[in-house]
Amino acid sequence: MTELAAGSPAHAGRDRSTAIFWTVSILTTILVIGPIAPIILQAFLDQPLYKPEAALTAGNFVRLFTEAGMGRIVLNTLFFAVVTMVVAQLFGSVMAVIVGRTNLPGRKWIGEILIWPLFVSNLVMAFGWFTMYGPSGYITLAVKAGTGLSPWNLYSLTGMSIVAGLSQAPLAYLMCIGAVTKADAQLEDAARSAGASPMKALLSITVPMMRPAMVYSAVLNFVIGIEMLAIPLVFGGPSGIHTVTTFLYDQGINAAVQSDYGIVGAGAVMLLVIVGLLVWLQGRLMKDSGRFVTVRGKASRPSLVDLGKWRWVAFAAVAAYVLFTIVAVFAGIFMRASVSFLTPLVPFWKLLTLANFELIFSQPGYIRAILNSVVISFLGGIIGTACVVLIALVAKRSEFRFRRALEYVALFPRSLPGIIAGLGFFYAVIWVPGLDMIRGTIWILIAAFVVRYIPIGFGAIAPALSQIGEELDRASRISGGDWWTTVTRIVLPLLKPALFSSFALLFIHFFKEYVTAVFLYQPGSEIIGSTMLQLYAQGDNGPVSALATIQVIITALFVFMARRLLGAKIYG
Amino acid sequence: MADLILDDLSISYGSYKAVSNVSLTIPKGEFLTLLGPSGCGKSTTLFAISGLNHATSGAIRMGERVLFDGRSGTVVPPEQRNIGLVFQSYALWPHMSVAQNLAYPLKLRKIGRAEQDERIREALELVEMGRFAERYPFELSGGQQQRVALARALVYRPGLLLLDEPLSNLDAKLRERARVWLRELQERLGVTTVYVTHDQAEALAVSDRIAVMDTGRIRQLGTPKEIYETPADAFVADFIGSSNFLTGTVVGGSDGAASVRLDDRTVIRAKVGAGGTGENVVVAVRPERLQIVGGAGDNVVQATVQGGAYLGSVYQYELVGAGSTFRVQTSREIADSQVFVYVPPEASTLFSAQSRPQA
Ligand SMILES: Nc1ncnc2c1ncn2[C@@H]1O[C@H](COP(=O)(O)OP(=O)(O)O)[C@@H](O)[C@H]1O
Ligand SMILES: [Mg+2]
Repeated sequence: MTELAAGSPAHAGRDRSTAIFWTVSILTTILVIGPIAPIILQAFLDQPLYKPEAALTAGNFVRLFTEAGMGRIVLNTLFFAVVTMVVAQLFGSVMAVIVGRTNLPGRKWIGEILIWPLFVSNLVMAFGWFTMYGPSGYITLAVKAGTGLSPWNLYSLTGMSIVAGLSQAPLAYLMCIGAVTKADAQLEDAARSAGASPMKALLSITVPMMRPAMVYSAVLNFVIGIEMLAIPLVFGGPSGIHTVTTFLYDQGINAAVQSDYGIVGAGAVMLLVIVGLLVWLQGRLMKDSGRFVTVRGKASRPSLVDLGKWRWVAFAAVAAYVLFTIVAVFAGIFMRASVSFLTPLVPFWKLLTLANFELIFSQPGYIRAILNSVVISFLGGIIGTACVVLIALVAKRSEFRFRRALEYVALFPRSLPGIIAGLGFFYAVIWVPGLDMIRGTIWILIAAFVVRYIPIGFGAIAPALSQIGEELDRASRISGGDWWTTVTRIVLPLLKPALFSSFALLFIHFFKEYVTAVFLYQPGSEIIGSTMLQLYAQGDNGPVSALATIQVIITALFVFMARRLLGAKIYG
Repeated sequence: MADLILDDLSISYGSYKAVSNVSLTIPKGEFLTLLGPSGCGKSTTLFAISGLNHATSGAIRMGERVLFDGRSGTVVPPEQRNIGLVFQSYALWPHMSVAQNLAYPLKLRKIGRAEQDERIREALELVEMGRFAERYPFELSGGQQQRVALARALVYRPGLLLLDEPLSNLDAKLRERARVWLRELQERLGVTTVYVTHDQAEALAVSDRIAVMDTGRIRQLGTPKEIYETPADAFVADFIGSSNFLTGTVVGGSDGAASVRLDDRTVIRAKVGAGGTGENVVVAVRPERLQIVGGAGDNVVQATVQGGAYLGSVYQYELVGAGSTFRVQTSREIADSQVFVYVPPEASTLFSAQSRPQA
């Protein structure tokens, strides 16, 4: 029967697709395992891992828990993470219900402002809080001058935990607002016809539906609390309060003599295990979330609950919250950047100056940091999106035998704290022969950022992919297209909006990233975040604020353009 | 073109056997329908032929060409099978116009531009969609999309055409017209066709032969007439034309006929079905074959009217009698609550009680 074969398209196709499956899987595995393997190895070596005479030992862990006051540090970290999570979830979820589902005046623009902090790093937030609410912060001094009391002390474990919680509240808000506004209106209507008041229906039907979003974002915020560097560094550093991350940072970078590789490795492994357990727990907790799936078919959006006479009371509370925890923090940065000295005792227009910006633009190193940040974010966004879409297509749309394993590996970086990712890549380049080439270049930063944020891109692309019926792939296969032809000609064109969203999200994450970079950058490959940390360490608060301001402006421009030109969906 | 052969084909999902030991030979040019209730494994079988599913064991051949062989591990990927497939949802690519949808398989076959245009025009004419070449799928009605999907499956002249419930998304009127049109088209092209449906009327109207399936097995294979008039077992009798079943025991008989004592002790005569009988049997008889008569007689049972409905052209009544509940269709309205029902022996078939489908 040659007749049939003659009608079929010519094919080298099968081998091509299989080769792609394997290439994608092996590269992903190498990139994800790459930074972890050397860390684990280092944790059990008595010398830096690049030294040939290094020998295996468990001594690092013994030293970690006995010598270094580690118990205190672990307790600090846990306390910090718990308070961060509780504060963030509390404010985030309450804001989501009020802004998302009531007739609060100005709910639209309040909703916009509430997500601003998501676009900037917690380094920027930390600095804004420091400028306004630190011991000699603008608002602190103003209150002191008015009342004669020193109102708060953020240089304490509780103080910095609350700052971190308020900085992370927008993340909880974002997750919860999706759950409350996309709930099926018919569910509440059913409660209404069963005799519930609108408020009662909201509280008894829809609010419990936030549970998966709450669980998910709670664990996320807990993990972020554990791995956060900037806020503990800025507020804990002066009074000697350490968390695991600042400890690693100090040991790895600041140690006056040579850094203690063994302790750093052991500490990193400990952090990796804690975060890994939490992410695993998150998966377990989310398992039965099908019970709470509310969006089915073409359900109409639920209506707003009338607050009646409480409307303006709620507005006052929400506006105060937004004003003092978000607007003031950003304003602090902008103000500090544009004056020589920020104090409530002298009207700030009398101290206006461009000196801070002039300083930034007079130093090639600072200009390079800005350019590097833009280039890394742009190239990294494209490279990252390409990697993620390939992984998603193999994991979700192929008959590759190990597709589930690939997805698992690709999502593993959720459990990879930024500081560990950075440290791991740092070890990897000094350990693996030949990799020295990219050491200290922007390419190692791009690689580390891409690996760390694969799950973010995946989160933007996978849901869009599942919206494209598999029948379309099948129709292409039966028409004579192999897997690669099918995904490039049929699936990718339909996925275009999600690709833009993934690019925009990755750009924003890369542009604000700093933790992952602290062990990886060198003169020449510095980025805005690393330069800010450096300037902060030297006490140059004016230039730090100027850099932060520049970062915020570029981010705002990018978000505006990405939404306009690419139609990218960024946070709702 | 060549015969399509399924040889002892089985398809399992984990421990669940969706298709069990199906063997079929479909001569070239035949229109064969896989008919059965939802979930019986029709689509699974069809997709295994197309290569979009992987069979577990057995073999699939087109003439000499082996498409799948469980023993030797041969699996030809779908894109190399040169088969046309129409999906239940049509699966038109939304980012391509009608012409582009049809051009896609031709481009993959490296067919020249001029011939592409010619073939696309021809295929669209065939389905009477020539005017819509530049439209996008969302600009077409359901019936038009279905035609385009068919044109796309035919444009590269496949050796085999597979259709998975292609008419189920159309409204009833359109569906009836479409099936006549589909059958005429298939006859004109002479393309071997495997058609999947759960609609018995559709299957009877279009097929050369029908394979009735249940829980992954073929229950009966035959022409529409054979299937309708001599169902092989009670399942087929029930599924095709939804027979009544009167339960009873065999008390005698000869020459392919038997006497059955029904549960109320009435004895009637009936044909013996293909599956043979046991001691406990059911007598299958279609509602439209039962007759209301004036009084007792041979092959007459007494029954009580439980309820009725007017169906437009006939009346259908629910009756209880002879120890069973059954339906009867008549053109006249029944006024009494007690009736006598004649069960024609030539329209009654005996099956073993075990093969009776669970209600
Ligand atoms: N991918 C799958 N995984 C597990 N079970 C499946 C899968 N596809 C089909 N089945 C099961 O196989 C049986 C036959 O399905 P199908 O062939 O689609 O039925 P139908 O006759 O309605 O087309 C069903 O019970 C279905 O649940
Ligand atoms: Mg089906």
